[in-house]
Amino acid sequence: MTLRSRVRGLAALTVAIAVMAVPAAAGATTLFGSGSSAEQPILNVLFKAYNQLHRNVKFNYLPDGGNAGVQDVQAGRRLFAVNTRPPLPSDADTTYFKLFLDGLCVDVNPQNSLSNLTVAQTKDIFTGVDTNWVQVGGSNLSTTIDPVGRNSAAGSYTFFQQAILGTQTQSSNVAQETSDGLVATAVSKDPDAIGYIGLAHSGKGSGVKKVTLNGVSCSQANIKNETYPMFRYIWGVLPTNRASPAVEKFFDWVRTSKQAGQIINRAGAVAAFNKK
Amino acid sequence: MDEDDFLEPGQGMSQDQRAELGLGALVFVVVGLLLAMLAFVVHEAWPSFAHNGIAWFGPGGSLDQQIQAIINSGQLKEAPVYTFHAWALIWSTILITVGAVAIAFPASLFIAVFIVEFAPPWLRGTLEPVVRLLASVPSVIYGLAGVLVIVPFIGNHLITQSQKASVTPIIQLSGASLLAAVLILTVMIAPIMIAVFVDGLRAVPRGWLEGSLALGVNQWRTFWKVGVRTVRPVLVAGTVLATARAMGEAIMLSMVSGSVPFAPNPVDGLIFFFEPSQPLAATIIHNTEALNSPPMKATLYAIGAVLLFSSAMLSLIGWTAKQPMRRYGVIA
Repeated sequence: MTLRSRVRGLAALTVAIAVMAVPAAAGATTLFGSGSSAEQPILNVLFKAYNQLHRNVKFNYLPDGGNAGVQDVQAGRRLFAVNTRPPLPSDADTTYFKLFLDGLCVDVNPQNSLSNLTVAQTKDIFTGVDTNWVQVGGSNLSTTIDPVGRNSAAGSYTFFQQAILGTQTQSSNVAQETSDGLVATAVSKDPDAIGYIGLAHSGKGSGVKKVTLNGVSCSQANIKNETYPMFRYIWGVLPTNRASPAVEKFFDWVRTSKQAGQIINRAGAVAAFNKK
Repeated sequence: MDEDDFLEPGQGMSQDQRAELGLGALVFVVVGLLLAMLAFVVHEAWPSFAHNGIAWFGPGGSLDQQIQAIINSGQLKEAPVYTFHAWALIWSTILITVGAVAIAFPASLFIAVFIVEFAPPWLRGTLEPVVRLLASVPSVIYGLAGVLVIVPFIGNHLITQSQKASVTPIIQLSGASLLAAVLILTVMIAPIMIAVFVDGLRAVPRGWLEGSLALGVNQWRTFWKVGVRTVRPVLVAGTVLATARAMGEAIMLSMVSGSVPFAPNPVDGLIFFFEPSQPLAATIIHNTEALNSPPMKATLYAIGAVLLFSSAMLSLIGWTAKQPMRRYGVIA
């Protein structure tokens, strides 16, 4: 084969790929979003269901963290973001919408007989005041407590700090993991461990055991009626001045439709405003 | 290929000349990009260095609280806080990198010598592809193996309750430790070293070895004194490559090192090996979510600049060390 004919072959191939790519793109809008990695499993199911209802709408979601997502929206790089914390002063020019609810559960290893903690006890464990299971009471263990948490830049940590620790920071004996799944893994592998983990990662098959907080269990019902101490809203974030109508329509569907509510509940979060 | 591929005339230049120009231009682009990247990173990092001065590299205070204060000041739009004393992170990087390279180097050298000179052909045929495959396994896979197997094993079987109780609540001995980090990093970088060493040892001229053998020197002594001595520049090159990889490793170390900015203390005896720490590169991974806080962004770029500078220094040291060895023959 000569160089010329190879060049011609390559050109033909390029044209062929371009032609194949066109019909897929024609008429379809892709909504680019970014933000929370913890909520990605739930969002992915919602994206898929919405795409089946509206064939011409597709989603591209970058799980770069809630804070980074808001920055993407401010810079105009993304149409929307999803965040797990309420707005902060650094979120200028964005509007927050409550989408649905989620809970942060406190979990221990199944070998631990502990069933309930108070908010004060949880705080003592994660600030290094209580370091042995004997001090906590209600547990069959008499070993050192191994608290596991999230890294200080994580939205889940900020939330845990506000809800439980108050003005204090978690103590230096708390092992810091970079994702919810890693916290669950660490707790499931260590009999002495305790960790705070999102509802979606605390269910059956996760290898961890939920404990009640102030006697209230970390369940969808208790999160929905806001009696569980660590419930939080998941927020959709849009640019205030140039919000995309297509994204607004999607957010409305997530907030209000019956179908989205069922999907959210099945995926491990809690529907807040959806029709029954 | 046809003849006319090479005979095509193009604007008065031969194909060789065009290739030279084109490739030369590409090299300039790459070097230019590299310099631009260096300048960019240092520029972004400057506020952090300027505020802390030489104390940036020193110890002092709780790093966790410093990072928290830096993040909050940016997110709450308050006056930026830059106070950051990175000694615990630097010390952790040194311990883990030096530990892993110190174990991996002799092990890799012996394995490479075995593969090249002593292994029977069938074993050589299996070992070599396995080593090259290991060298290309993504680090997150090693991290997963660490989190699921090594870390729980160390935590549940090697660390005792009394050791745990003796250090709480300062730190937690969970198994994610210096020991786990060094062990897994060793397994990660050894295949790179072995692959480089094997290529070097293969390049030793056969005649040099045969000359020694003909004088009645045995195979082991011949290979050790002639073969390995000849490839010393290759050993340096392989070690520099592996050390750079070890220093920049982020994902795996963020999963198994304990990820607490604590400086392990050798005076603690056996517990020292079980103590958690957090190397520089893993710190960047841990805090990327806080990039929307401008002072934290500058701090993370400062960590990146230190890593870049260290890699450059490492290459320079490797190059300097190789110079006097060049006259022995094999050039890496």
